[in-house]
Amino acid sequence: MAPVFELPASVNREWVEHEGRSLLSLRTADAPVLDASKTVLVDSAGISLLTYVAGQHAKTGRKLVLRNASGALLSALGQGAKSHEPAPLRAVQGENFFGRVGEFALSLYNSLVLALSMLAEILYWSSLGLLKRRDFRKGAIEQQMYQMGYKAVGIVGLLSFLIGDVLALQAAMQLEHFGAGIFLAPMIVISMIKEIGPLMTAIILTGRNGSAITAEIATMVVGEEIDALRTMGIHPVQFVIVPKFFALSLTMPLLSITGSIVGLVGGYLVAVFYLDISSGLFIREMMKNIVFADVVANIVKSVVFSWLIIWIGAFHGFRVRGGAEAVGKETTASVVMGIFAIIIADAAFSFIF
Amino acid sequence: MASNESSPIIEVRNVTVRYGNRTVLDNVSLSVVPREIRVILGPSGCGKTTLLKTILGLLVPASGSVWLFGTQVGDLDSQETMSLLKRAGILFQNGALLGSLTVEENVALPLQMHTKLPPALVREIVHLKLSQVGLGQAAPLLPEELSGGMRKRAALARALVLDPPVLFCDEPSAGLDPVTAAGLDELLLSLRSSLSITILVVTHELASIEAIADNIVFLYKGGVLYEGPLSGAKLLAEGPVFDFFMRKDSAPGRTQAASEFPFLVEQTA
Repeated sequence: MAPVFELPASVNREWVEHEGRSLLSLRTADAPVLDASKTVLVDSAGISLLTYVAGQHAKTGRKLVLRNASGALLSALGQGAKSHEPAPLRAVQGENFFGRVGEFALSLYNSLVLALSMLAEILYWSSLGLLKRRDFRKGAIEQQMYQMGYKAVGIVGLLSFLIGDVLALQAAMQLEHFGAGIFLAPMIVISMIKEIGPLMTAIILTGRNGSAITAEIATMVVGEEIDALRTMGIHPVQFVIVPKFFALSLTMPLLSITGSIVGLVGGYLVAVFYLDISSGLFIREMMKNIVFADVVANIVKSVVFSWLIIWIGAFHGFRVRGGAEAVGKETTASVVMGIFAIIIADAAFSFIF
Repeated sequence: MASNESSPIIEVRNVTVRYGNRTVLDNVSLSVVPREIRVILGPSGCGKTTLLKTILGLLVPASGSVWLFGTQVGDLDSQETMSLLKRAGILFQNGALLGSLTVEENVALPLQMHTKLPPALVREIVHLKLSQVGLGQAAPLLPEELSGGMRKRAALARALVLDPPVLFCDEPSAGLDPVTAAGLDELLLSLRSSLSITILVVTHELASIEAIADNIVFLYKGGVLYEGPLSGAKLLAEGPVFDFFMRKDSAPGRTQAASEFPFLVEQTA
């Protein structure tokens, strides 16, 4: 004799969570009978439970008996049975070790090709390409200079001042032991102008502008704005990137010089107020150590860093595929990659200057 | 190259498009003559938007070719294709207005980039186009401040601002209320009569198809299932085209599975 289970009036999620789930572990010799005489309401959890249990029994060649089910319940279960086709799984590629290595190598190669072609496009459209066409709006460079340069003065100034301050303070403590406080002047001048000024400015601007460039372009890609530009006969690299390229190439050296000067002011304050060195003497010593070649190094470095920021920002922006999550991922990758590239470039510059 | 009345303005020859291993369009051909309103329709996922993007050069076909105004559409960054596309207006599914520019700046963009008109005249044309689509008051707003329908109309104004001889629309009335959608259809019809433009519309809105289509192309599973006048399609007595117009589900597998009802139904007194 087959066991009979009485279904409640509401075969809903609450019932499935508490009592109904026992049907899942039911082991009986005969197919059980589900008495639905009382059932007037069934929700998706209920439909899924009944269809699943029926499916399990069907595998052993038995059919679950449904007694006194209302027309509404039967039609709801009919819908459930329709969806009972197993959904195809997403194909997983490169399951084995060599597959994964190969896939990684291929994606690395593709990224490299994409990155280099982006660099070539930026350089071409901002130089020779300008002779052919000029696809950016009037005032776009000035607007970008304001956004990416002028608006960053505050943060670059503040951080450079604090870094100059901290650097000078740490050095002053050591130099004071030997009565060599005055050597703070050459130390702070060389380190701020040649090294810390451009490097810190570049790192701040990677976080500030590199991320903004990637996010802006990526959002434009996702929102079909880039496609729209192309189909309007407007080259997206020239329209979006070239103004930024010129704006950052022009403002970054200025920001870097500003940052270096503000850092020197930080060092000066430490020298005068902490080491009690005479203001005139310290300024004289500083001026004596400002070398033209170091200023050139500062400017050259910051121009190259600005190109790296634009290049990496644009590469990650144009590479995006998918939706909001992909935009976030590329923005993060752009900042990490940007800072990494800038530090590598800075290390390379150490051999030149 | 100038097209005369008989030669097709848009021609797709045996185009096959693949995403990875998946074939989305399989050997699709069609040709659209001047002043025609051609509607590409079919169920979701049949490759309508892919076909449109291929015609515009945004996707590169695995085989076959696309011809616009008698010239082959090639690499999108090439000078030839860019100047070809300048002669086409394109309305994207979500409008694709540039988020950083106001509506007026968005509509003015093609004029600023491709013409040497004085700014005062550019402004005048922009306002004319915006009032044509009923957005005269929205000029100073940013796209994010517009509703979905307004965004689409602003994008239509941008697509039409250079008075292109051919207009491509991707789902122009999707997501619009019936009144606005009908207004948009009327606008397309009046554009055809006033400017003699050729329009290629991708849609699956039945009301819109009936209102505007001269001829239709019914895509099904990446291939052309029917090409010809709408009245002819309606005479078909069975198959996906019939199901589409009768709003029936013809997806295979789903109705089949329903027959395998896993319960044994019994009724007692």
